[in-house]
Amino acid sequence: MKHTHLTRIFVVAKNTFKESVRDKVFYALFAFAFVAITFTIFLGSISLDEDLHIVRSLGLAGIYLFGVLITVFLGTSLMYKEIERRTLYFILSKPISHGQVIAGKFLGLFSSVALSIAGMTIIYLGVVWYSGGGFDTLGLLAIFFEIIEVGLLIALSIFFSTFSKPLPSIVYALLVIYIGHSLGMLVDFTKRGSALAHDVVQGLYYVLPNLEKFDIRDLVLYGNAPSLTAVFLVILYATIYTIILLAGGALLLQKREF
Amino acid sequence: MQTNTFVTLSSRIAMIDLVASASTDRGWIWLHTHSQTNYTIRMIEIQNLSKNIGKRRIVNDLSLSIKKGTVFGFLGPNGAGKTTTIKMLVGLNRPTSGSIQIDGKAPTDSITRETIGFMPEAPYFYDHLTGLEFLRFCGQLFHTPKTEDDYTSLLHMVGLSEAKDRRVTTYSKGMKQRLGFAQALVNDPEYVFLDEPLDGLDPIGRRELKKIIVGLKKEGRTIFFNSHILFDTEELCDEIGILHRGSLLYAGPVTTFTKGHSLEEAFVTTIENLDSTI
Repeated sequence: MKHTHLTRIFVVAKNTFKESVRDKVFYALFAFAFVAITFTIFLGSISLDEDLHIVRSLGLAGIYLFGVLITVFLGTSLMYKEIERRTLYFILSKPISHGQVIAGKFLGLFSSVALSIAGMTIIYLGVVWYSGGGFDTLGLLAIFFEIIEVGLLIALSIFFSTFSKPLPSIVYALLVIYIGHSLGMLVDFTKRGSALAHDVVQGLYYVLPNLEKFDIRDLVLYGNAPSLTAVFLVILYATIYTIILLAGGALLLQKREF
Repeated sequence: MQTNTFVTLSSRIAMIDLVASASTDRGWIWLHTHSQTNYTIRMIEIQNLSKNIGKRRIVNDLSLSIKKGTVFGFLGPNGAGKTTTIKMLVGLNRPTSGSIQIDGKAPTDSITRETIGFMPEAPYFYDHLTGLEFLRFCGQLFHTPKTEDDYTSLLHMVGLSEAKDRRVTTYSKGMKQRLGFAQALVNDPEYVFLDEPLDGLDPIGRRELKKIIVGLKKEGRTIFFNSHILFDTEELCDEIGILHRGSLLYAGPVTTFTKGHSLEEAFVTTIENLDSTI
């Protein structure tokens, strides 16, 4: 079989997937997530008539939190490790472009994080069912949105890891996640303050990813679902943002001296 | 040559001592004719190559022509610019000025990289992959990947068949060096670039790898390598290039440079004389 440009991306993706699912960090966080999600049964039982609400709320938040942690810890070191340990020499001296390497890395890590989220989802669905909530279809929709956000965060982590060491990259990624979830609130808050502060926050609002778009946990907890248009727009927003970040990462990698 | 499998490659290399009688082998005759036909056409051409890293000039106006089917040793003290040059030759880094052409094409062109193999200095590997998985991964990055048998034969050729299913983290330095060498040959390359290939190997390992290099040369492949081990270089190379502080001091046959002395003696004297005049 002849290998095309696309197959080469999948070859890198497969290798990245293997590497990340064999990483101890991956298992440690997954085990911790298992314990945390199961623990929501106990937390639900000590709440007053809110068992299911607590189980669903903490369960969905737990899946998000551990998905983000796996993403940030593995993603921020992904390219840096390749550059620092010079394994990238093996890859880039072969007929593959910088863009294909970045795309493969993204797909590989995305698959492994999506796999871990799928695992956590099975535990979550079991816990909700055990708590009397039946099959949580709306919860699945919230998790789907979390997976889309995680995809964007993987691209962000890879982007940082092309030029920065893992520790600063973790700090940058966590800062963007924090700000990305507070942008709407910050814009509202600065409306009442100085014009300069408002302009700065407004600028950040357009440049940084608005991660609140992916958070529909509160919506589904009260039995509501986003419209199909909203789902489509969120997917489009995440796709465009992810492509821009990956293209930026590929460009930075190409400019880099080895 | 691209269509030859590693099975034939390794069996030919195992019979290096019988190379004269191997002329009866149909494959060998074909390769021999093939390399003869292309001897003057295919080559590595470096013209006025310079590389700056920051404000420092690492390689200065380097021009070299390396003929197809030769073994070229690139020598120089530490920091001379050898690794920087080899990284440009395999398309990892771009020159500040000047050009490199391999078979008339730039190494940054992915078509060129289909025909080259590169072994970096003191290679690192992915911790969680086995030797075979790593080799398969490298092979699959090429347009025409090899078969499982080819990967196994290649690992056998470099003496890693016993360890092929072990994770690379459990490999010794010498085994990693062999795996690095194997991945440089995974695409059956026309041009093989090796950065300190004999470093970290015990005498037996060195002998085995040298045997493979000789075998590759006999098959008409071009080998370019950096080395500090001058004794081995003298034994293997048709031609050498000597780089000092980024500039080429000498390029040509080994015997013309050594003038009856050992390569080590001639090299050390040249470098010391040069350093004392600065």
